[in-house]
Amino acid sequence: MILRSLGAAVLFAAAFLSAPTQAAQPGRPAATVIAIPPLTSPDTGKKGNEMLALAWQVTGLIADDLRQTAEVMPLAPDRNDYYSYPQVTAPTFSVWRGKGAKALITGFVQSRPDGRLTVGCYVYDVEAGRELGRKGFVVVPADLRRAAHKCSGLAYQAITGSPGMFDTRIAYVAETGAPEARVKRIAIMDSDGYNHKYLTPGGTTVLTPRLAPHAARLAYVSFQDGIPQVRIINLDTGEQRPLLPGSAMTFAPRYSPDGSKIVFSMMLGANSDIYVVGANGGPPQRLTTSPAIDTDPSFSPDGSKIVFESDRSGTQQLYVMDANGANQRRITFTTAAYSSPEWSPDGKFIAFTWRMADTRRIGIMEPDGTGEKILTAGPRDEGPSWAASSREIVFQRTEAAGRPAIYRVTLDGSAARRMTIPQDGSDPNWSGTMD
Amino acid sequence: MTMRKSILLLAALFTVPASAQLPGLRRRAPAPPAVVQNPIDVVRADFAAQTGGTTVYFAPGSAQLTPQARMILQRQAMWLRQHPGVAVRVEGHGDPTDTRDHALALGAERAAEARDYLVLLGTPAAQVSTMTWGKERPGPPSAMTTIQDLGGAPPVPAAG
Repeated sequence: MILRSLGAAVLFAAAFLSAPTQAAQPGRPAATVIAIPPLTSPDTGKKGNEMLALAWQVTGLIADDLRQTAEVMPLAPDRNDYYSYPQVTAPTFSVWRGKGAKALITGFVQSRPDGRLTVGCYVYDVEAGRELGRKGFVVVPADLRRAAHKCSGLAYQAITGSPGMFDTRIAYVAETGAPEARVKRIAIMDSDGYNHKYLTPGGTTVLTPRLAPHAARLAYVSFQDGIPQVRIINLDTGEQRPLLPGSAMTFAPRYSPDGSKIVFSMMLGANSDIYVVGANGGPPQRLTTSPAIDTDPSFSPDGSKIVFESDRSGTQQLYVMDANGANQRRITFTTAAYSSPEWSPDGKFIAFTWRMADTRRIGIMEPDGTGEKILTAGPRDEGPSWAASSREIVFQRTEAAGRPAIYRVTLDGSAARRMTIPQDGSDPNWSGTMD
Repeated sequence: MTMRKSILLLAALFTVPASAQLPGLRRRAPAPPAVVQNPIDVVRADFAAQTGGTTVYFAPGSAQLTPQARMILQRQAMWLRQHPGVAVRVEGHGDPTDTRDHALALGAERAAEARDYLVLLGTPAAQVSTMTWGKERPGPPSAMTTIQDLGGAPPVPAAG
């Protein structure tokens, strides 16, 4: 990995600010105001000017990242707020209190003899006048954005207690062409839309990309051999292979939280059941045996349980079982149909597609099936996938013209927002934080 | 229905080059003049004509064969017994209002039900394969099963 942590000790002083914890609760729109004066540099002369220009870019990226969240509200960075290198670790808190900020980010960008850059960032509680955390990275210039995302994540975690979702990737199916002859390609991008690229050529129908926890591998479904089958892409090397040998139809793959296993659906005759297999292969183990359709399995974050959908009751409902298939129990009991569940990274919720007649919406509930809350209006929403923060969900919305697009929605009740991608998109999947 | 026609398909030659093995071919020979017709298309047309349809329909959410579907499949099974060199593939479709993976499973289940019925009626199992498109192909609200080309290289057009 190119990012290397400088300070091994990241100082999270059980990092909760006093007021901000309120803002972290869904439904409470109060956001924590954070000041982001322009990052500085210890370098001088021409080099110093170059570094200050890069530092200004990093500052803007951090502000952009945090502005996208419901919990943190950045003040607009102002070049007049420039400070010197020693002030990185000794900010003048009274200035920021005067501007209404509850938190503050400082930092620097420094050149290195080998051409790489050192980026440091620090987060402070302005009211208490104490440090909440710091992080440092050595990066090649091309990875400066990732360092900025890591700084954003540091601030977000210090304020909300949840990991940020800034240094993450979103995979999805890029769709072009007429409705009856759709060209589908697996695409991947950073969660801010940068580094967009296509991973499959488009001659073959592909579906449901699902990223491994740190986004180094991707499982997806390909029709390249005439039937749907799960394939794995190594995102570092570009190598691809089928998940299983043989000619069974396989689909609905998802990685376990530690990345060691993949849980998926396989057809045996007319019967779709759930199986689990090592991420590097081996014999699959069968977890469900119901003659109904069991599919869309998703692990709990501790790996001990799996939520899935089944129509064994006559309609699609959600079930939870132990990771070995034992103790299967139903958790939804309404007249709606529930499908495509995904367990949140913090373990507190299960997101799902809710369907009544032809209307599909995205909702969440607690893992015991209580506290159901519908987050989107539909009418054709599906396929939720959690952000690493467990506070936001990406999903597919088929718009009026029948064209699928990718939307994000936060748990705080605000309206879903459409993501900007180069063409139509479906089946989005959000990774955990990258290494 | 007509929209769907272009993608529904039929039976394919199973590496049987000799069109003479297929009696239907000669009977249907008066094709448009000057057009060299691919034998596979001829076989497909014959299959469709003799069976009364390549597609069977299901109720939304269901993989149960309707009486009408059984009737079509019975004629398909009869035709397949008469054409043992022809391999077919049943392609199942899910419901368009379904979520992605459930549609795949439902389509696969529909294809398997149709195939199992063909086999029950005496079609050799090796002659019939299945696959699912899930909701990847537009179609009517009630999903359908189609019998399709097994893939591989299409037969070489008959010379002259």
